[in-house]
Amino acid sequence: MSQQEDPNRMLRDAVTAFAARDTSITRVRQLRDTAPGFDKAVWKTIAELGWTGIMIPEEYGGMGLGLGEMAAVLEEFAKTLSPEPLNPSSVLAAGALLHGNNEALKKKLLPGIASGEILPALAWQETEGGIDPLAIATRAEGGALNGGKRFVFPADADGYLVSARSGNGPAVYWVDKGSAGLTVEYEPRADGTRCGRISLKNVKVIDAQLAASGKTAGAALQRAVDEATIMAGAELLGVMSRALEITLEYMRIRVQFGKPIGSFQALQHRAVDLFIQKELSFSVLRDALLQTAADASGLGLWASRVKSRCSEAGMRIGRESIQIHGGIGFADECDIGLYLKRAMVLSAWLGNGAVHRRRYAALAPAEAAA
Amino acid sequence: MQAQDWDKMDDEAFRLEVRGFFRKEYPEHLRFPAYHLRWADTKDWYKKLVDKGWAAPGWPKEWGGMGLSPGKLLIFIEEQERHGVARTPDMGIILLGPLLIKFATEEQKKQFLPPSLRGEYIWCQGYSEPNAGSDLASLKVEAVLDRDEYVINGSKTWTSYAMDATHMFILARTDKKAKKQEGISFLLVDMKTPGITVRPIRNLLGVEVFAEVFLDNVRTPAKWLVGKPNQGWTMAKALLGFERISIGSPKLAQTGLKRLDAIVRSQGLTQDPAFMDRYTQLRLDVADLASTYSRFADLLKRGETLGPDVSILKIVATETFQRLTELTLEAAGDAGAIGGKAAFRKDSVDILSPFYNARPATIYGGSNEIQRNILAKNVLDLPS
Ligand SMILES: Cc1cc2nc3c(=O)[nH]c(=O)nc-3n(C[C@H](O)[C@H](O)[C@H](O)COP(=O)(O)OP(=O)(O)OC[C@H]3O[C@@H](n4cnc5c(N)ncnc54)[C@H](O)[C@@H]3O)c2cc1C
Repeated sequence: MSQQEDPNRMLRDAVTAFAARDTSITRVRQLRDTAPGFDKAVWKTIAELGWTGIMIPEEYGGMGLGLGEMAAVLEEFAKTLSPEPLNPSSVLAAGALLHGNNEALKKKLLPGIASGEILPALAWQETEGGIDPLAIATRAEGGALNGGKRFVFPADADGYLVSARSGNGPAVYWVDKGSAGLTVEYEPRADGTRCGRISLKNVKVIDAQLAASGKTAGAALQRAVDEATIMAGAELLGVMSRALEITLEYMRIRVQFGKPIGSFQALQHRAVDLFIQKELSFSVLRDALLQTAADASGLGLWASRVKSRCSEAGMRIGRESIQIHGGIGFADECDIGLYLKRAMVLSAWLGNGAVHRRRYAALAPAEAAA
Repeated sequence: MQAQDWDKMDDEAFRLEVRGFFRKEYPEHLRFPAYHLRWADTKDWYKKLVDKGWAAPGWPKEWGGMGLSPGKLLIFIEEQERHGVARTPDMGIILLGPLLIKFATEEQKKQFLPPSLRGEYIWCQGYSEPNAGSDLASLKVEAVLDRDEYVINGSKTWTSYAMDATHMFILARTDKKAKKQEGISFLLVDMKTPGITVRPIRNLLGVEVFAEVFLDNVRTPAKWLVGKPNQGWTMAKALLGFERISIGSPKLAQTGLKRLDAIVRSQGLTQDPAFMDRYTQLRLDVADLASTYSRFADLLKRGETLGPDVSILKIVATETFQRLTELTLEAAGDAGAIGGKAAFRKDSVDILSPFYNARPATIYGGSNEIQRNILAKNVLDLPS
């Protein structure tokens, strides 16, 4: 890959340094199936490095950079398999607040989000999941929220941005953790992290908590989801790149029939096909970042293009890496399984390949012959 | 002919200039031909290119070319494809010219470049043989020096446009004792030389575009050897780079998608979710091919050189286009085996030709299996 064109070299280098200093596969393994499933001290480090505020404007204490910079950090960060919720909190949740229309609330929360003191989560999907942020059953009526949310990540947040349907159309409310009437149950994810199933029973809210309302709320949710979807593509690219590297290295050293298995043409061609999928993922992500920086109107279409390619490619590289490793690939002690499981989580999150193919077809009907 | 400095022009202005010329001068009935046109079909158009000074966009100006940088050349080709401008038998321009310019003597350049540019010499490429395809270095056609002439024996095959060609450039073995790659020379041959027989070969479209060429004691002047004796292999290999990107263009597939869409609608397939999922996947594949192409094209346009990873572009482009023609056949249903143009509501579509035309692209130019071998070794660093 031609990295000489990469303007984000310094950001990437910072993540590489983080990877060597602050995290390891051992740490990732230790955090599996624990609560909250990530390390708050490491989250602080991440915040000190500035990554939690990359997309938050400077006036709110962030760096005021864009998707391109965030993608570079997330791609490298994902290679470490760190479970800290960088994209879910700093892009998805922070985005819903930032793109909303409550200036006072932004001033109150965004600086803390950028500095890592406040960990937010967006609670937007309901029991069935799905990727339409306007498919909301939760109600905001008479100053109270009633309903349920699912797939909320991080489950153990300091507060939740909850989407609801009000008399005024869609709305997004900030609800502190521990608010009366809010309960969180946990569901385990394939990679050992956990997401929340939230129930809201007469949770009292006031206007000061209304992060976005009406048309703005719908647009803010959609934009935050689309941005996080493209960023999930960057994370998948990181995961699949590392998985492929590990697999190629194994092909060079594992000897059978007196030769390294990487000398067998059947495996070589398979590896090339995986490499091609990775390169296609890189191509579409690169194009998406270039094009949406110039014109944000196609954000949804680009999000679906990126996510469908990267989800499929990440899953395929994960699966076939297990096959190429043979028996050891099925053993929990072998790291390659961790990459497959993270790819599974990232693939399903915010819509898998098939879901985004359908959305792409709906957003961009094919053009007929002239 | 005024020699213009195209590389000073900005890319967009250049693109519009090229587009304008094709629109104005290219014959309408030759746009987007269903199969490779022969010299008889394209020679009038070629004459126009010569008069305009645009016959050899990639050659340097001192030899009558446009002197385009790789980036500008790419734009030129993109505009050709966009307008559906057919390729002429252009092996002399695209393959031989650059090789002569790089390796030939002044005398050889003076002798061969101007008539090739004017379309008086039409070249064919005699590399492949019946028993030397992917393993080209095992070629057997032999050239033995007899005073000031080489005497050539053997046969070449799959030679495109051999029946239209006035000349052929070949790889022939000049040292049988040397290692495979090291005993091969690059020779030029006049097709009218006694001892040459051309047997056209019908292809799957039912037309004759390639041929077998028999060489029986064919004598060619020793001074028609290009470069040094036994250096032919290295020279031929040195010039494969640019091919990979032009073969990777998404244009064919994008045009094919429009054709397919007409069929999809007319067959009512938009109501079939199973079909639509695969169709959408294909559309995304074409879109991602375009993103991959623009990534490499941007490198070229910035004046950087392409690495060996550009091979992925050939694989992705040719295999995506094949899948597209396959889905087109499937969508056509019963009409998927009917030749000629079939009517789909108001559109009339040739189903079979693109399907056939998609086949050889994964075979020539280094088959896709060979490309995967190269990628495995040179890019993925896998052991042999
Ligand atoms: C339309 C068309 C036009 C052509 N025009 C010209 C021309 O103008 N001049 C010219 O010189 N040649 C021309 N060729 C020939 C072309 O270059 C050869 O067809 C090509 O090099 C493949 O050689 P082959 O046909 O002998 O196939 P083979 O080499 O016999 O290959 C047969 C199959 O085996 C596979 N294979 C071979 N080796 C390996 C390996 N190491 N690993 C895995 N798989 C392998 C191939 O990929 C292929 O699928 C043309 C071919 C076509 C189809």
